[in-house]
Parts: sequence; structure tokens; C-alpha cells
Amino acid sequence: MDWAQLWEIVSLPDNVPIVALAILVPFYAWYGLRQARATDRLTVALEADPQLAKTHHRKVHPYKPGWAREVQVWPYLLRIEFLAAVIVTLVLMIWSITLNAPLEEPANPNHTMNPAKAPWYFVGLQEMLVYFDPWFAGVVLPTLIIIGLMVFPYIDTNPLGIGYYTIRQRKVALAGFGVGFVIWLLLIFIGTFIRGPGWMWFWPGQTWDHTRVIYEVNRNLPDLFGISNPVVGAILGILVIGLFYAGSGWGIHKLVTRSTLDRKIYERTSLLQYLTFQVFAITILVGLPAKMLLRLLFRIKYVLVTPWFNV
Amino acid sequence: MPDEINREVRSTDAEPDPVVDSSLSGPLLIAAVVLFLTMVWALYDELFSQRPWKHYQAQFVRLYTAHLQKVGPRAAAAEKEARSSPEFQKIEQLLKKAEDSAAPKVKEIDREVDGIRRQLAAIKSPFQDVRARIAALTYELDHAAGKAARDSIRREVDEIRKRQMSVDLPADGAGAAVSAQNLSFVDLEKRFNELRTREAQLISERATVTNQARELRRTRNEYLSEHMVGLGPQQIEGLLRKMHGFRIEIKQIHIEEAGLVDRCESCHLGISEPLPLTAADMGGNRVFVSHPNRTLLTLHDPIRFGCTPCHNGNGLATASVEGAHGNYKHWLWPLFPKENSEAGCLQCHFTDRVLDQAPVLTRGRDLFELKGCVGCHRHEEFDRESDALTSIRSNIQNLEVQQKESRLEADREVQRGDTAESNDQAQQHYAKAERLRVTSSNMDARIKELDLQAKSVMQDLKKVAPNLKDVRLKLHKNWIPVWLKNPHAFRPGTKMPRFRLVDQEVRALSAFIWQSGWQGPAPAPQPKGDAAHGKELFETRGCMACHSMGEGNNRAGGEFAANLSRLGEKANYDYIVRWVHNPRDRTRPYCPYEKRDLGPEDYARHGLPFSFGLDRSTCPNDGHELQVQNMTVMPSLRLTTEEARDIATYLTSLKHDDAAYPSDVAFMDDRRLAEQGRQLTSRYGCGSCHEIAGLEDAPRIGTELTKEGSKPLEQLDFALLEQKAKAEGWYNHKGFFERKIKDPAFFDTGREKALEDRLRMPNFELSPEDSRALITFLLGSLDSPFRSEFRSIPQQFRYIPTDQQKDLQEGWWLVKKYNCMGCHTVQAGQHSVLSALPRYQDPDWKEQLPPSLVQEGARVNPEWLARFLSNPAMTEKDTSRNGVRTYLKARMPTFSFSPNEIRILVRFFEAAAGQSSPYIPSKLEPLTEPERQMARALFSSPGAPCLRCHLVGEPRHDRSATAPNFLVARERLKPAWTARWMLDPQMISPGTAMPSGLFRREDDRWVSAGPTPGIFSGYRGDHVDLLVRYMFQLTPQEQSALIQRLPATARTDRPPPDETATVAHSR
Amino acid sequence: MIALTAVAALALMPGCGGKKETTPAAGEQPAAGGEVWRPTGDEGTVTGKVSFKGQPPKFPAISMDADAVCAAKHSGPVHPEAVIANPNGTLKNVFVHVKSGLEGKTFAVPTEPVVLDQVGCLYNPHVLGIQARQDLKVVTSDNTTHNIHPLPKINREWNISQPPHADPIIRSFSRPEISVPVKCNQHPWMRAYIHVVSDPFFAVSDDQGSFEIKGLPPGNYEIEALHEHYGAQTQKVTVAPKGSASVEFSYNATQAYRAGSLRMMPALVIPCCGGGGTERGASH
Repeated sequence: MDWAQLWEIVSLPDNVPIVALAILVPFYAWYGLRQARATDRLTVALEADPQLAKTHHRKVHPYKPGWAREVQVWPYLLRIEFLAAVIVTLVLMIWSITLNAPLEEPANPNHTMNPAKAPWYFVGLQEMLVYFDPWFAGVVLPTLIIIGLMVFPYIDTNPLGIGYYTIRQRKVALAGFGVGFVIWLLLIFIGTFIRGPGWMWFWPGQTWDHTRVIYEVNRNLPDLFGISNPVVGAILGILVIGLFYAGSGWGIHKLVTRSTLDRKIYERTSLLQYLTFQVFAITILVGLPAKMLLRLLFRIKYVLVTPWFNV
Repeated sequence: MPDEINREVRSTDAEPDPVVDSSLSGPLLIAAVVLFLTMVWALYDELFSQRPWKHYQAQFVRLYTAHLQKVGPRAAAAEKEARSSPEFQKIEQLLKKAEDSAAPKVKEIDREVDGIRRQLAAIKSPFQDVRARIAALTYELDHAAGKAARDSIRREVDEIRKRQMSVDLPADGAGAAVSAQNLSFVDLEKRFNELRTREAQLISERATVTNQARELRRTRNEYLSEHMVGLGPQQIEGLLRKMHGFRIEIKQIHIEEAGLVDRCESCHLGISEPLPLTAADMGGNRVFVSHPNRTLLTLHDPIRFGCTPCHNGNGLATASVEGAHGNYKHWLWPLFPKENSEAGCLQCHFTDRVLDQAPVLTRGRDLFELKGCVGCHRHEEFDRESDALTSIRSNIQNLEVQQKESRLEADREVQRGDTAESNDQAQQHYAKAERLRVTSSNMDARIKELDLQAKSVMQDLKKVAPNLKDVRLKLHKNWIPVWLKNPHAFRPGTKMPRFRLVDQEVRALSAFIWQSGWQGPAPAPQPKGDAAHGKELFETRGCMACHSMGEGNNRAGGEFAANLSRLGEKANYDYIVRWVHNPRDRTRPYCPYEKRDLGPEDYARHGLPFSFGLDRSTCPNDGHELQVQNMTVMPSLRLTTEEARDIATYLTSLKHDDAAYPSDVAFMDDRRLAEQGRQLTSRYGCGSCHEIAGLEDAPRIGTELTKEGSKPLEQLDFALLEQKAKAEGWYNHKGFFERKIKDPAFFDTGREKALEDRLRMPNFELSPEDSRALITFLLGSLDSPFRSEFRSIPQQFRYIPTDQQKDLQEGWWLVKKYNCMGCHTVQAGQHSVLSALPRYQDPDWKEQLPPSLVQEGARVNPEWLARFLSNPAMTEKDTSRNGVRTYLKARMPTFSFSPNEIRILVRFFEAAAGQSSPYIPSKLEPLTEPERQMARALFSSPGAPCLRCHLVGEPRHDRSATAPNFLVARERLKPAWTARWMLDPQMISPGTAMPSGLFRREDDRWVSAGPTPGIFSGYRGDHVDLLVRYMFQLTPQEQSALIQRLPATARTDRPPPDETATVAHSR
Repeated sequence: MIALTAVAALALMPGCGGKKETTPAAGEQPAAGGEVWRPTGDEGTVTGKVSFKGQPPKFPAISMDADAVCAAKHSGPVHPEAVIANPNGTLKNVFVHVKSGLEGKTFAVPTEPVVLDQVGCLYNPHVLGIQARQDLKVVTSDNTTHNIHPLPKINREWNISQPPHADPIIRSFSRPEISVPVKCNQHPWMRAYIHVVSDPFFAVSDDQGSFEIKGLPPGNYEIEALHEHYGAQTQKVTVAPKGSASVEFSYNATQAYRAGSLRMMPALVIPCCGGGGTERGASH
């Protein structure tokens, strides 16, 4: 057990953002949800009284009787932004005084560092390389993610919960984004704190030893079933993936259409919108973690092996 | 209130609006305050935390000023002392006299000058004013258009020139009397120039008058500066002033061409102060001390060299000590540790074998060679011979290929010529063919030359350890395993390291060694000699310059070669006799081409007698060069067989009484064991130090160390100890080397390894100082930017020795290779091993020390030196003596240098003495008869007792002689040096038996200090010069004539003293 | 410190033949720095005797016929002065000095020189003590050329020729050093021993084998006796104010030759002075 070294890693100037992430993200998540819960309670209350509901909720964001329905940007918005600006400046200054830029020796091609890690915001991608065919992890998935983020507005037909925090009115969106975000963070944390020399898996407190040797074999799914013929193997792979998509599609559908409200929203969406949503949801939100688990738990390298690409 | 608009009438119980009704002033205030504080913090950080050197500089100024004020008075006192000395007083008086004598004239001149100056002052402004105006007008005139305009300007100019103006002139000479005068510009101009010239005259006059005084003043100041140790009060004043006006700022050395920026002096302010500063002087702050080695600093002026090129560290960093010293992970060139600072020298001086300013480093290199590290680890500079040999061989091959090619080409050309259309073309082809033939024949010559070179190099090629082919002739069988088990137990401090062998390995190795040895008949058994005499010889012939004798505290002698205290337990008498008589005498020649030793059969096959030597060194089978000598640096001392026997008897008689060796060594004849042994031998790299049959060109087993110091840390195998090292702070090169050298198996700790995978490096049992020296050497073995050509460091910053520098460099490698310094003093101030032996502490024995070689190049004629080095006996018959100093018990051995090495050595000595080569002897005036008479007289007069000590070749006289024979001088010495030597030998080699003060200065010449014979009356010549000429024209007849003139008693026949008492013992 | 550097400077000056070397204002500047010791009046005296038991070794007579002048100076055979036993059973030429007890004190350097004469190709005295940086004046009474060649280990070595009737050579030793052999390369048998010490408290045993050290400040001392052949002996002694103490050293002819004593190796026997009469011991 070598906690000293763990501390060494955590306290690296390069890792400050990640440590900050570890604290700030949960905090703001909690903070936002708290606000959302409050709004939800309010909306429930308003709904209870048809009169109020008409004036204070429908068509406008919910507000209590006696509250201003709208406020001016100046001073009410700007003063807050100003405060935020001051605090950010503060943080940046202290940061820059206390920590020097983590510069290193001139790069030497004959002598590369180990582990060689991407900047914190790319470590997630780097970590993904472990689980996928480089082409898949490096190109396809990132593109999909970006596109996915881009198409959100077009597949989201829910008129409610715009401009204020709410859980109740946006379960699906919230859950969807939540899962994706958590996965992403997870990748970053694994990449930074768990992956040691040779990109090996070191539990926290385990010494990062350059000379460490481990025995692990990763097999493709077909090999697991002793299928040597590539074609048959490919067919099997496609079959499995198909099943997976069908299965998780069905599951997601069940989730999406649980409550009446959700069902209402679901009914408003067109088939195209819904399918797009499903595809992205399955590939990124379910597919990614599923593959990771396959790899980490069952040491399965690829499910589908083709001469052109592997999945 | 704008937001009142859309605000409903609020029921009293309605709760307040979270946005409108809340105030942010509190948080804003706090944030603002904190921001302000941070601002302050930032400023402080910027001005102080990030600039520690400011603090240092302030401190330095304080401490240094204090120190200066402390030493100031002392300096004053010292100056007083110097001033009080009579010499100074004399100069002072002279100066006074000169000044007085000059005073009146000076006074007068000054008065006049003063007058002139005042007049000039008066004239100057009006004159210059008008002149300026005229100049302006002239310009206009030049550029004016049209005649009218020109004329008008001309008129104006003339008008101005003539216009009278009143100038109040002081009457020249003294007095303030002022008279107003009306002068035109013309007059003014005239006057002005006159005054100027006059002034100039006067000033030059003044200079001439005061000249003498000025000279004296200069000499006076010189005297002061010469006779004051340390700084004078003025200088100290100056320093104080400097400190007073000290500006706190970054002090940096910037050398643009080299891209060097060193700010070290921002904190190390005292480093190049004229006053030597110790930590004590500066209140215990080591940071402010001045550079400990002034000489180095003057050799490498920081302004030109900076600091980091030698010391490493981060010259740019100023924010923290660690940063500046580069002691952090990402700086690849951290400061050399204090105790290894000499490692820095290797940045440039990697080809210098000896650096007198870097004793530790030099020691490190000595060890690297001495302990045979070179055997397993390549280090560029240390494989001179083997590298040369390989390059020569490859050259030969290339040449042979080219030659063949050009021959063929020639033939082709001829054919083309035969079949050419026109005659001219044919001619051209034939011509070309001719040229090609010539080239190929040139190549022949070149190849021959290279072959010779190869021969030389093979002659110079030495092995660190003995030749194991003779193991059966030389060693006691049952001693071998004991030795292999742990050499240091048998012979502490021996070169042979301790391999961590398990018994099985020991047995296998011994078996192989034993069986690989030559199985031929043992050498003829030798009769025993006289051990006592052997001991005497061993101690006096100079053996102990390399070999040591005695154990523990009784150990005395050199570390260059083995300690022979227990030789009797290991070696065969017969072989030792042969070895002592001539160590180079090889049992069988080795053919590097066939890779085997040749025997009589090979020679017989070609109908040749089985005899080989430096003169018959080609292989009878294929004509390649053979290795005809034992590859040892041990020279032949030209001992007679009897002497050799005596010494051998003595040496083999040395053994521990309780020495016990296993009697059952049958296993050493076991073939299977031997087979294992062979593998082990190549695994442990025995072949790289020893000559072993079948392993002559065994590859090196260690890593190359040429650039070990800059190997990335990750590539040094700390194995399981890496974390420990990091935790304990020795995760760096030094830490690695230290532990590796101390215990070569260290980095196997905790690892499960099979026998054959364990670390192989053996244990050398180095003393702490030695390992420190070695570490210094390794740390310095860098991939230095000054080393490799392609780096950015410009030529002029590289150290590329040429001519004599180069000769020196080359020479040192040999001086060390053959341990010349064991017997001779080669550098002034260096003490030979012999001179440290107890025997030579006795005044009489001190004269028996081999001569000092300081300034040898100035002393001897290079041609002679070359001859001497090749055969120190200076004769072919009766070689069992010294060539020059026959009276010496110690003997200059025959090293059988190759021509190459002789050339290098001669050049070395010439260079060391700064002699211009080639040496052209100066022509000496032949002696006239009277001169010869006088010289004779002087030579044999009691005033100049030359012949009391110098050999004359007459046995009875020579028994007490302690200096060379004059007959050798002619060929051996350089006249200029001889004269210098006679005047003051103590200057050239302090402590020599030849006394100084034999001559005294008489006006412009040197005359004998003693009573000069009457015959000299009226002789005006220089006695030294006379003697030198006499000496260089001395003939044997002349000398015998001299001896006749010696005082009778010196030659009276006495019963020769009983020889046994003397050490000069020859049979 | 200045003084130290001065000494260094002195050491650096080339040994130019014959003429006096400039000692930095001898006397007022103590070598070790600190205060110069001045007698207070209550100094004491150490007297003593060096007794000698047994038959002194027989040394072969020196044959001086290498130089007629030397031989002429002597009537009978001359024996090496290595051991001179006085008839009253005492030992001559034993150098006695204060080995320890004066630490930290520094003493003014006497201005009058110590004289070393050369008479009949022998040094006179054979053993002499001198204070560091005190002048040594070498005179010659022989009509032949000598050269004076001290062989110190610490001090700088010099070797100067002194022809007949030449001016005296004046030199000095900068640093304390016990037993500096002096020889003449032209008359190899000539030998003297100079003991350079840092204080004025030393003596050499005379024909009566007795010695006296005057003006010793009160205190506890370790007195050392040195003989070139029989080595060193030490004794503790306490000097009371104005008091006098006495020390007895005794050498034994049969005592083993001790390591660390002055001659480390048997002398190189040079034929010219090796032969000749080997009878009677050198006791005169």
C-alpha cells in the first residue's frame, strides 16, 4: 500500500482540475437538484389550485404569488454575474500564485515518459482506447457524442421545464444526460488515478511500479465459444450486437414511457425523433459502459471482428 | 421602481421574492476584500518570494562591507611594512629628488600655460561665434542661385571678417590685469592658433621634464603591489566603494554565440571577488565564498566560460535554490555534487588523461585503467590501441578492395584502348590505365605502411591481467581455486576483483583455466639464487615503484602492480626466474589471424626454426603480424640471469607459514567441468583482462560507459529498489553508481534469479576515496554538448588541443600506461612512488632516486632521447646497466616501446618543456688552446669540483660518483639548458645533488664563485659558456688527461673496500 | 593571517644562491598569529643528563682521501659522529626540546643567527637546534669547496655551493621540523642534524652529556630527547615559578634500533668511506 504516491499523483499541478472536478461536480449537481426539487414542489402546489395554475404556471415558469413575474437584467442578473466574475478572478489568481506551470524537460524521442497521459480533458478518450478499436474509440464514438449533443434540441419535444430547474417534468432528458456525464467523468478518473505505467490497472494505494508484470489475456467473443471461422464469428458478433440493441432499446422504451407525463411527451415525438434518440441512447449511454464491463470483468476484447473494423 | 410594474399587490403573508428581496452586498463586500488581499499577496510574491536573490544580495553587501572594514586595517599595516623596507625608501628618495629637480621648471611652465589658458578662454567665445556665422554664410553662398545673390553674401562675409569687435584680453602671464582690445576675426583666428600651438609645446615640455619622476612613481607602485601579499588599502577602499554603490539586480553572464545565460552570480556574489572569502569571513554563509580554486578561475574566466558549462545546474533559474542548482526531476543537468565537482572538467577535457587541476578525476581515470574496468566496459578514450588496430585493419581491407578494383579498371582501359577507333582515344585510354596502375602501386606502399602501424599497435596492445596460457608453467595447481574464490582474501587490494562464485563455479572455472593452459614441457629448472641479495635487488632496482611488498601496515611500494608478499604460495620458481629476467618473453607466439598460438610445428612446416621476436614477428603460415610478446606493461630490467634467479628466489621464498591449500585438485583435470568452465569464463568476461586460449577476442560483457553520466535514469536498473531510492533520495546517477560500486550485486536484492541471470559485475573492494574518484569520473562521462561535433556549441568554445597541447595529451596516456611516475617526477611537485619509500628517506639514498623528468625536454636532445628510450643501456653489449647514470642502483628498464610510442613520448617531453620542434642544435664555438687549458684548470680546481661527483669512466673514482659522465653530454644535452643548469640547478630540480651558487655574477658575465686558477688572469669570457663549450667538445682522451690532473689522493691506490658491504653488488 | 601569507610568500621566493632571504620583519610577526610571548620573570629552568650504558658501536673510519684538503686537517683516523659516548658514561649530541606543553604560545624569533661551521670536512656542531625563521649562518673554515644540502621533508630543500673563503650563507627554515639532515654531496660522509622548533627552549647535550633549558615558563611539559642513532625518549616534567627541574635520559648501546628514530635505513655504504680501519669504537 502506497498512499504517499497516491497523494503525489493527486497533488500534481496537472491534476488540479480533476480534483476540483471531483468536488465541484457533485456539489453543483446536488445544488441544482435541490432547486429542481423546490420548483417541483411549487409546481405541484400551483397545480393544486386551477386558478393559480393558469396564472402562475402554465405558459410561464412557476412563481409564487407575491413574487415578481419578471425582473430586470440590471441589477438583478448583472450583480450576480459580477460576483461570479470576482470569485473566478480570485480563484485564478490564487491558483496562479500557488502553483507553477508544470513544465518538464525537453521532449526526447528516444526516451518517452511512461505512463504518457493526455491532458485531463482527453484522458477519457484515451481511456476509451482500451475498450474499443482505435478507429472506433478515436473517431466514431467522439463524433457520435458530438452529434448526439447537437441533435438534442431537435429530438426534444418536451415544452415543459424550459428556463427553470425541474426533475419531474424532464426525467428522461435529465437521466440521459446524467448517465452520459457520469460515464465521461468515470473515464477521466480511471485514466488519471487508476492507470499507471504501461496503462496498467493500479488500485488506489497500489504502487505504480515500472517493472510490474501482470498476466491477462483478452479474447474476442467468438474465441470464447471456440469459433475459429471468421465469417461465423462475424455473424455471431452481429447477432449479439443486434440482440443487445433490441434488448436495451426495449428497456429504454420501458423507462421512457413509465409515468403518464412521460407518455404524453412520448406521444408528441415523431418516430424519426424517437429512433434517433434511441440509437444515440443505446450506443453511447448503454453500449459504452456495457463494452467497458465486458472488457474489465470478462476480458472480452471485441464482440464483432471484421477485417475492416472491430467492435 | 421598474419592477413594481409586474408585481402584484402582495398579500401580507406572501413570502419575499428570492431575487428582488435579497441583497448581495454582503458576499460582494467579502469577495472584494479577499480579491484586494490576493492582489497584495500577488505583489509580494512577485517582488520577494519569486526573487530570493534580492535577499541574498542585500545580505552579501552587509557581510562583505563588514569583512572589508575588518581586513582594511591589516592591509594598511601590511602596506606600512612594505613601505618601511629599505628598497622602497630608496625609490621614495629618488622620486623625491627627481620631483624636486623638476619642480622649478614645472612651476614656470604651469604659470605660462595658465596664462595662455585664460587668454584662450577670453577669445574662444567671440571667435567661435563669428566662425559659426561665417560657416553658415559660406553654406548659403555655396547653395545660392544667381550671381547677384552670391555677391551680396560674399560682401556680407568679408564685412563680418573685417568687423572689429572688442575683446577684453587678460595680459598674458600671471595677474588678473585685463585689457580690452579691438580685434577683427582674422586677428582672432591668428592669435587663437598661436596660443593653441604654444600650449601644446609647453605641455609636451612638461611631460619630458617630469618624465623621470613619473617612471619612479610607476616603479614605486609596482614595488608596492609586488611586495604586498593580498590587497592594498586602496584596492580595499575601491571594493568598499563598489559595495556602497551596489545595485540589487540580476547579475548574469551572457554569451550569445554559445547560447549561454548564467545568473549564478546573482546569489554567489563573492565567487570572483579579488579578496579570497571563506564561509567564516561571510558569517558562515557558504553561498558567498569565493571560488576555491583561483587557478581554475583564471584558466576559465567566467566571463568567457560561464558557470554551468563546468558545474551544470540551471543557469537561468533565479526563483529558488533547488531550481538554480537544477536539483529537480525535470532538469537533466543537475549541479555536480561538491565532492564530485571535478566531473565537470570532462565536459571538455574528455581526452585529457591527466588534469593537474583535477586530482580526483585523474585518480578516477587511473582506477578505471588500473582496476581493469576497461576490460569489460568500453570507454571511448581508453581503448586507444584496440580502436586504432580495428581502424587500421579495416583501412587495409578497403585499400585491398580498391587496389583490386583499380587493377581491373586498368586492364579494362587497356582493352578499350586496343579497340578504340582513333589513336587519340586509344592514347587517352592508355593514359588512364597508366594513372590507375600508379595509384594501385601507391596503395601498395600505403598498405605496407599500415601493416607496420598494425605491428606497432599490436606491440602496444596490453592486457590488464596476466596471460593465462602459461598458467601451468607459472602457478601452483591447488592455489587457483583458492584465489578464484576470493582474491582479496589472499592479496588485499589486488586488481583481480571478487566474483560471487559458488563452489561449483569455482571448480569449473579452475578446471577450464588449468586445462586451457599450454601443456608443453616446463622450462628448464633453474638453480636457486641468493635470497638476501635478491631482496636487496628487489628493493633497489626499482621494482617497488610498481610492486608493493609487505602486508597491512608494513605494506610499502606502488599500487600499479601486484603485491608480492605471498608470491611463494602461488608461483613456480623456474617461471618466475624467466619472468623476472624478461617478462615480455612469450612462450608461443599468437596469430590473431588464425586465432591460435603457433608452435614449432608451424615453423617446421615452412622449414623455419621455432624463433620469434619483435624482429621476426610474421606468421610463417600466412605472413600476418604475430603477437610475439606477453601483453604486459612490465618491462625488462635487463637483469643478468643470476640477478633474476636471486630475485626469484627471494620472491618465491615469501609465503605465510600457515598457508594451507586443498590437496585434492583432481577435479581440475575433469573435461566436463572444463566445459562448464568455458561457458562461465565467457559469461564473467575473464577474457577481457586475461589472455586465455580460445577467448582472445572475447567480446566485452559490460555496458559502454562513455556517456553513462547522461543515461536517462529510467535506463539505470534500480530494479526493486526504485521506490526505496526515491523515498530515501538517492534516485539519481550518483546514488546508483555509489551503491553499484560498493556492492555490485546490490540491485539484485530481493529478486528471484537463477545463477546465470545474476548481475555479473565483480566486487573491487574500492576504498571510499577511490570509489568517490571513480564516481566523479562516471558522473563526468557525459554526452556533453562540447563533445559531439554536431551540437550547437561553436568551435571557439570547444577545447580542441593542437600541436604541443595534443602532444602533451597523447603523452600522458603513455606516462600513465607505463607508470613512469612510479620512479620519476614528471610534473613539478609530484612525488614518485620510490621517493616515498623508507629507504629513500636516508640522505645518501636520496641521491639514488631516478632523475626528475621535469623540463626533460629542455634538457636533452630529442634524437638522443628517442635512442635512449628504445635502449636505456645505450649499448648492445653489457646491457645489464644504466646507459647514463651507471651509479644508480635503480635501473631504467627496457619497455620495448613501439616506434609510435617513442615518438609520442619524445614529443611529450618536448612539449612539456615548451621546446620548439624539430630541435636544431646551436653551433658552439670551438675552443682555442688557451681556452682548453683554462677549462681544464677550472674543471679540476677545488673551486669548481665537477669531477668529485661526476663519472669519469675510471672505476675507482666512479665508485663514489653520483652524476653522469661528461662524455655523454655532447649527444645528450642541449647547451642552453646546460648553462642554465650550471648556474642554478636548484631552480630546475629542487633538492638535486648538484649545488647552486657555483658561479657569481661579475658585471656582465658569470665567473666561478670559487678561487679561479691563475691561468684565468685577463680572461674576459664567461666561465659558464667556456665550461659548456668544453663539456660539449670533451673527448675520452681529454677526459683521461683531466683525471691525471685530479688531486693525487683522489687516485691513490687503496685496498678496495670490502665489496660485501656495498650495495653495488655484481657478480 | 598576514604573517601566514608572508611565510607563504617567503616559501615562494626562489632560493637564489648565497644572499640572505628576506624574512618578513623577523621578531614582531609571530608565525602562528596571536600574541607574542614575553618573559614575565618567574621562568624556571630544566637541567639534565643523558647517561649512556654499554659499548658504543664501532664505526669504520671515514677515508677522506677523496679530498686531500680534508685528510690534511686530521692527524688520526676520523670516525662518523653518529654516536659519541663521553668518557663519563654519557651521550653527546642528544637534542633535547619541549615536545608538548607550550601549545598556543608563540615566541619572538631571535635576531642573532645560529652558526654551522665546516671544519676539516666535518660539521660543527654535529647536532644543532634552531627556531623556525631564525637565521642559520653557514661558514666554512676549509680550503675546499663544500656544498650545504639540507634534506628537509616539510621545509624547502636547498643546496648551495660554498667555495673556500666564501661569504657565509644565511638561510632560515620557515616551519618547525625535527631532524633535518644536512649533507655535503662532495664529501658524502659529512652529516649534521638541524632541529627546527617553534620555541627557544631546546638544548644539545655536551661533552659531559648534560644540557640546560633556560627561561621556561612555569607549567607541565613533555621533554623529548632525540638521538640520531638511538632514537627518541620523552619524559614529563613540571616547572615551578622561578624553580628548576631536572630530567634524566638514559640510552643503552644494546637497545634495539627503534622505528621512528632518525635514520630509517642503514646508510648506503659508499666505497670511498666504507673501507679503512674498523677497530676501536668512536669514543673520544
